[in-house]
This record gives sequence, structure tokens and C-alpha cells, in this order.
Amino acid sequence: MATFELYRRSTIGMCLTETLDQMVSGGILTPELAIQVLIQFDKSMTEALESEVKSKVSIKGHLHTYRFCDNVWTFILQNAQLKSEEGQETVDSVKIVACDSKLLTQ
Amino acid sequence: MASSTTSNVYIHVIEDVINKVRDEFNGGGGPGEGVLSELQGLWELKMMEAGAILGPIDRSASQKGAGGPITPNPVHDLNVPYEGTEEYETPTADLLFPPTPLQTPLPGTAQTPLPGMAQTPLPGTAQTPLTGSDSGSLYNIPTGGTPITPNEYVSPNDNVGVSEVKAGPGRPSPYMQPPSPWQNQRPPLDVNVAYVEGREESERGGPHQQTTQDFFVASGKRKRDNFPPQYQAGGYIPQQDGAGDNLSDEMKVVLDVIGQGGTSSSRIPQSDGPIPDPYDDVLSTPNIYNYQGGVVNEDYNIVNTPMPNEMLAATPAPVQNDVIDDDEDEPLNEDDDDDGDELDEGEDLNTTHLVLAQFDKVTRTKSRWKCTLKDGIMHINNKDILFNKATGEFDF
Repeated sequence: MATFELYRRSTIGMCLTETLDQMVSGGILTPELAIQVLIQFDKSMTEALESEVKSKVSIKGHLHTYRFCDNVWTFILQNAQLKSEEGQETVDSVKIVACDSKLLTQ
Repeated sequence: MASSTTSNVYIHVIEDVINKVRDEFNGGGGPGEGVLSELQGLWELKMMEAGAILGPIDRSASQKGAGGPITPNPVHDLNVPYEGTEEYETPTADLLFPPTPLQTPLPGTAQTPLPGMAQTPLPGTAQTPLTGSDSGSLYNIPTGGTPITPNEYVSPNDNVGVSEVKAGPGRPSPYMQPPSPWQNQRPPLDVNVAYVEGREESERGGPHQQTTQDFFVASGKRKRDNFPPQYQAGGYIPQQDGAGDNLSDEMKVVLDVIGQGGTSSSRIPQSDGPIPDPYDDVLSTPNIYNYQGGVVNEDYNIVNTPMPNEMLAATPAPVQNDVIDDDEDEPLNEDDDDDGDELDEGEDLNTTHLVLAQFDKVTRTKSRWKCTLKDGIMHINNKDILFNKATGEFDF
């Protein structure tokens, strides 16, 4: 199963990465095992987003920058409004990084 | 911050990952279940610190797997950053604490404040390590301790001095009481030190300082009474012995001395207004102390060159100017720092608003972009929001 490393940049992914870094640098964990954990995280996070999350979001804003490179879209929005079921957030600028969902199903 | 749904998904992911890598950890050559538990514990701790997981994790419902009895341990480790409970629940800690302050004054008179702090951590840290994974847990202590836990858990081991004192309320009385007695004893000790060094100083110095020496040699017994004259002439009392850690105490002593011997008009104005700054200067730069006490106006005019004591004439105004200068400098520096911080924070905030997702479709009509995203994680305004689908409409 293909996985995206995309979600490693999220809060949960960064926390895991920091933890693994600590344990590897402390000699508790081998780097190989740490990478296995990260790959498992990629899978588990993707699955959880598919199966555990049902909410929908709408995003509006001024598109400051767009970029499509290596099948990854990157948008930088300004004055963006992000509406979810939990409420609306407004930010001066937000970066959207999106991988091609078709790559996972191939 | 995170919503409860986000938090639950995160917890689910953590457990899923842990359960699915369990075989690799427990298999041949693997580090074992303990390391896996530590991994989970650290991970969850960091998540709670980041606010991405809410509160303590109720593992009773979710923990159905084989690892059930084991995984709860890391949870406790999280909430009670490692050494916390063990340290003062175990009787050994109580046994270890009282002797420390008793021992400290004897060997380390010079370092009095530090040894107590330095020695106390040792028993605590020595107890902390749970398994062979010591370095990891030790490494984690400083980060883990403060944010989540209540005051009583504030990691007492690694933080020196100040935080140690702050942590006081939660600490057992046997540990708290000892420090105060020998802290109280310290000022007299410092005075003695100041005396001795003062003599040496006067011996080195010019003839006028000999008068100073004569002063307190003559009235040898009552040290405090001696101070004012010595202080007037030489003015070098505090700075000489002034190791950085004793500043406050020395200050107090000097203040007391000044208050008692405050008959001389020249001394009073200095002590009242600008005390902190001149003394700090004196303490930081050894050259100054010769003229600091007597001639205040020279302090800021010629900071780098020692003044001949003949020129000493006390005038309060210069000191005030000196202080004013400092005040002017400090606000400027603070403002500069704030500006820089604000800019940095702003940049950070801009980059931390992040949406990670997969795209199904991205289209554009003229300057109007539409995209459909799925399976995304948004980190907006320090909140994590997960979505299954998202639509975006952007104007370029």
C-alpha cells in the first residue's frame, strides 16, 4: 500500500517524529524501526481520516500562490476563511499542501 | 487546541500505530514492549503538550488488545512526569533530603546556595530511571515536566535554584525547612568575607584606604557598625566578594549597613534611589568599586578607568543620571526585542496555518480556482481540525 508522508507534517506526525528522534538519538531505538513506525503512522493516519472522520470543510480566500509540482498542489491563500462544523476560522494566510488522491488507489 | 473529535481520532491513530508495530518491537532483535510503551508515552505526552490531545487518555474503553495491561503505564508516566510521584512517595527520598542541607554548609561555604540544589537532584534522578531506557526518559524530563502537570510535579530535579524554590509548596517539609536556616546564616558569612577582602584591598590601595582599615581594625568586634565608615571611604564592600549568586543577600546587607550608618549625607541619596543599577555595575566590573562608593558622579563619566580616590566626592545626581541612562537603554532594548519577536511570531504564525490533504480535483476558470480535497488535517489558529472532504474556492 502506498502511503503519503504528507501527514508527518501535522501536529501528531511532528510529535511522533520528535519522539522517534529522541529515542533514536538516545540509542533506545534503531533508525530502521523508527522508519517502520513512521510508515505505519502514514497508513494509520490515512485510514483514520478515511474511516473516522466525516466532517466537511469549505475554504475560501485569495489565492496568492499556486504550484503544482511532483503531483503535489500547493496553495497559499490570503485572508482565508475556513468553515467547518465546529465553526469558522479566519487567517491572514494559510498554506494548503495536497497530494493526488489517485496515487493511493493505484 | 483540538476538538474532542480530533483528539479522539489522534488517540485512535496512536493506538493503531502502536498496536501494529508491536510485532516489530517484540520480535527477535526488537527492543521490546517497554520501549514501545515509552514510545507511546512520549508521543502522547508531546501531543498533550501541543494541545492536540485533550486531557488524560481513558484507556479502559479503547484498550481491548493484548497489550492492555502494559500500555496504561505510559499514560501514568505522562501525567506524572516520571520522577514526580515516586520521588516523594518513596521513603528513600525523604531520607535523602534532610541530610543534604546539613551537609552542604560544611564543605561548600563558598557555593552555599548551589550545593543544596546540586546534590538534591542526584537522589531524585537516580531514582527516576525506570528501565534501561534511562537516557530517553531523562532527556524528556525537562520538556515534559512543566506544561501539563500541576505545580507539585514541576520537575524538581533538573531545574536549578529558582524553579526549585517555586516548587516548594508541593515538596515535603523536611526538604523545605533546611534551606532556610543556612540561607539565613549566609549574610553574616558574606560580611566576614567582605571584611577580609576589604583588608586586602585596602592594603593594596593607597594611603587613604589605610584610614579605612584603621577604622575597622580599631573597632574590630562590631562588624556592622564598622561598615559605614569603611563603606564611605572605600566603598568596595559588596562587590569584592560578590559572587553572582549572593547578590540579593549582599544587597540587603549593604542596605542595612547604610541604613544604620546613614549619618553621612553623601551616602543616603545613593542608597535610596539607584541602588540596583550601580551595584550591579560594580559587581560586574571589578574596576569600578574603588570609586563607586565614594564618588558617584564618576561612575558614568569614566567607567573604564579606575578613579583616584582623592577625587571622590559624593553627589547623588550623577547616579541618578546613570540610572536614567540605564532606564533609557532598557526600554529601547525591550522594544527592539519585542519588535523582532513580533515579526518572528508573525512569520511563524503564517507558516503554521497549514492544511495537509489529498486533492481529488483542481480546476480553474479564468482567475477562479476550485478544488476538492479529502482526508485532510488543518492546523489553523493553533487548532487541529480534521476533515473528510473539503471544497476550496479561490480567487487568484
